[in-house]
Amino acid sequence: MTTPSAPRLNPLHLLAAFGTGGLLTLMVHFNGELARYGNALFSSWAAHGTGTVAALLLLAVLYPWRARKVGAKPNAPLWAYLGGISGAITVMLTSFAVNSPLALSGTLALGLAGQVIFSIVADRWGLFGLPMRRPDRRDLAAMVLILAGSALIILFGRGNG
Amino acid sequence: MTLPILFACLAGVLVGVSRQVNGRLSLSTSPLIASFWNHLVGFGALSILGLSIGGLIPTGAADAPWHAYLGGSIGVVFVAAGSWLIARIGAVNTALLVIGGQMVSGVALDLLQGVSAGLLASVLGVALILAGMALTQRRR
Repeated sequence: MTTPSAPRLNPLHLLAAFGTGGLLTLMVHFNGELARYGNALFSSWAAHGTGTVAALLLLAVLYPWRARKVGAKPNAPLWAYLGGISGAITVMLTSFAVNSPLALSGTLALGLAGQVIFSIVADRWGLFGLPMRRPDRRDLAAMVLILAGSALIILFGRGNG
Repeated sequence: MTLPILFACLAGVLVGVSRQVNGRLSLSTSPLIASFWNHLVGFGALSILGLSIGGLIPTGAADAPWHAYLGGSIGVVFVAAGSWLIARIGAVNTALLVIGGQMVSGVALDLLQGVSAGLLASVLGVALILAGMALTQRRR
């Protein structure tokens, strides 16, 4: 499963990931608004609750088009169902950090660092049963550019001018 | 100060862990089913937490406009997309491109709302991010 030098990214995958980041901005915007009326715990709890219902509705609507592959897929281990626990802990850690001297920008910048370092380790060793990938020099250069741009926006751009 | 720094970094690590775990589940099921379990299990965990420390349903919650409740539904698509992508382009590419998209759309949202603080740094940041994305597309 190892890809010694990763093939060029499919531009559609790239656009999908970039657009997903746009969804994240909207999500953070709405959840932030809900947290202002209530609190961070309520906002995340409500988002997970409405999300569960929305996922069920989507699954029902898409049921006629579900994938019917011949040959069973390998069963998922029990821990694979627990990704939501990790998300719930993230909410608590983030709301603690945002209310410390780090504020929002510091929390975002450090969170970004943690996420990128974990993803490098995860790709390198194929953690949690996903394929291994090794970055080449071009991937590393792209990483430096994207991280530098993000740091500029977080630390000196949005609302910090 | 050490504890907030540790917590902020750990929050980022856990974002990656959850995408990795949901990605593994989607290999055996589907991205949307993985997103469903992510939300159901998260809802259960936060319910237990809220019931034990209190303040789960604050008084101001009823005053929030209806659109403030849209975040959860957007999150379903976000988690499903992340689970689908991570199995195809890997953890690093997924994380970097999602972060890039979040930053660029965030700057766009600020501009739409008439917030122009730190515009120069934001524009420079967007340029660097787009350059990084272009680089992933360059042929060897």
